[in-house]
Amino acid sequence: MKKKKLPWLASFVWILPALLFIGAIVYYSIGFTFKLSTVDWNGMLSVPMKNVGFDNYKKVFSDPVFYKCIKNTVVFFIVTFVIQNFLGFVFAAILHSDVKLATLHKCLIFIPTILAPATMAPVFRLLFSPQGLLQKIFNFMHLPITVDWLSKPTASLIVLMVVAIWQYTGMSFILYYAAMSQIDREMLEAAQLDGASEVRILWSMVFPGCRGTTVSMAMLGVIGALKTFDLPWLITPNSLMHATEFLGTYIYRTGVKQAHFGTAAALSICLLVMAVIGALLTNRANRVD
Amino acid sequence: MIKLHSRKKRIFLQLLLLVMTIPYVLPLFQMVVGSLGGIGILNYKAVWDTGVIPTFFRNSGLIAVSVILIVLALCMTAGFGFAKMHFKYKELFFWMILLAMTLPEVILLTPLYTTFNKLGLTSTFLSVILPSAALQLPFTIILTRNFQEGIPTELMEAATIDGATTWQVFYKLILPLSKPIASSVVMLTLINAWNAYLLPLIFLLKPSMQTVTLLPTYFQGEFTNDQTKILAAAVITALPEIIAYLCMQKNFEKGMSAGALK
Repeated sequence: MKKKKLPWLASFVWILPALLFIGAIVYYSIGFTFKLSTVDWNGMLSVPMKNVGFDNYKKVFSDPVFYKCIKNTVVFFIVTFVIQNFLGFVFAAILHSDVKLATLHKCLIFIPTILAPATMAPVFRLLFSPQGLLQKIFNFMHLPITVDWLSKPTASLIVLMVVAIWQYTGMSFILYYAAMSQIDREMLEAAQLDGASEVRILWSMVFPGCRGTTVSMAMLGVIGALKTFDLPWLITPNSLMHATEFLGTYIYRTGVKQAHFGTAAALSICLLVMAVIGALLTNRANRVD
Repeated sequence: MIKLHSRKKRIFLQLLLLVMTIPYVLPLFQMVVGSLGGIGILNYKAVWDTGVIPTFFRNSGLIAVSVILIVLALCMTAGFGFAKMHFKYKELFFWMILLAMTLPEVILLTPLYTTFNKLGLTSTFLSVILPSAALQLPFTIILTRNFQEGIPTELMEAATIDGATTWQVFYKLILPLSKPIASSVVMLTLINAWNAYLLPLIFLLKPSMQTVTLLPTYFQGEFTNDQTKILAAAVITALPEIIAYLCMQKNFEKGMSAGALK
């Protein structure tokens, strides 16, 4: 029997509202940004925009801070991705092993994920300052360490990565925890009987079994790293020597703070292109399997 | 995961778990300890007495509920369209939605500010609600589509043969079956809308309209960097979220992890 087909419009109308909504805001903004990227404008509505062609892009590509942002983003992604997922995986494996107080631990690891970076930023500024708890702990243990990391370029980038790992381990954990429930226990027990160590089983049987989760986290991590704004902006607002500058914060600084809206728009377009390429590459890695 | 047979190993594992969890609690501990510095519990009174906290909470709530309603309505219909309808250029439209997912919100600021200014929308809740919803939509549409693709088409056909219109199929069949994914969408959108910082920072300039994420900044001005009160404000902001999470643990976890799965 041939299925009765609905006319095109009757089917299309289901996605139309969402499409119009996204088009009116997202695609409109992308188009607007592209136009802005070819002008010189200080943001005053009364001042006309001056067309400068692709000068803004030339400025961006010859700007060392732009490359610094990319470098920071890459370092940030690699470090947080590896450590966050390693910790999430280990937590998931431990909490699958009949430990006591599992629910309590689960909640404590997951709570950071739901809290707003904006709410936690003042806490981290205190924690990583000489007046903070960390310094008190070091003093108590008689360790000769001064916690003044937020006033040092490299150390402040490390602090940001630590905070990001703190915030998102819960997400990796929950996903690995779910993936591990799907793994066949009998196979693992058989390996154990054959004399394989626990660490060995985790590494060569359980971890490959959770591959889908790792790939998902990679995709999320790439887009997330490129979108990074709240954490660096609130924890290291002045960003010494651009040590904690990311594309998001640099765009904000150049546009909203310094009123170079053309240059900020060119940076935005570059960021968008990178986000799309990043998403396509990780999506590809996903399909190859 | 793996059964541990020796007692020693089990104790080691329990200790390892404890040691690994401590760093996750430390910032929360710092938050509470810090908020009790100086005049102690009176910090909370000082913060509460400013009278702005209920306003900030109401604003965040209003924005979150509106964003959730828009996102839910649009992602359910679009998800259904992409999952079960056939139309030309479907792939192309789907790619448009996928691409929109990668958009960092900082890119929206200048175009929207300029445009909202012309439309007289600056300093209205709509100026935050509309872009927040647009940013959440692409992803929730994909989630909903993936879920609704799993609903057997035969069910729909049976209903159609019984004389149901497409709208009735959607309303009476697909929507009730989509409850699990709808609850994930609600949680995910709630957390993202509640925690949004950049859009309210740019568009909501009047203190009477600001959201909970702007409380620390507001108090920085109010108490000229009196850390203890800023931290008291942070505790007051975080507490309802933590309580809500503890009450609806499973929903929160499902919503957040839905955010990472494609």
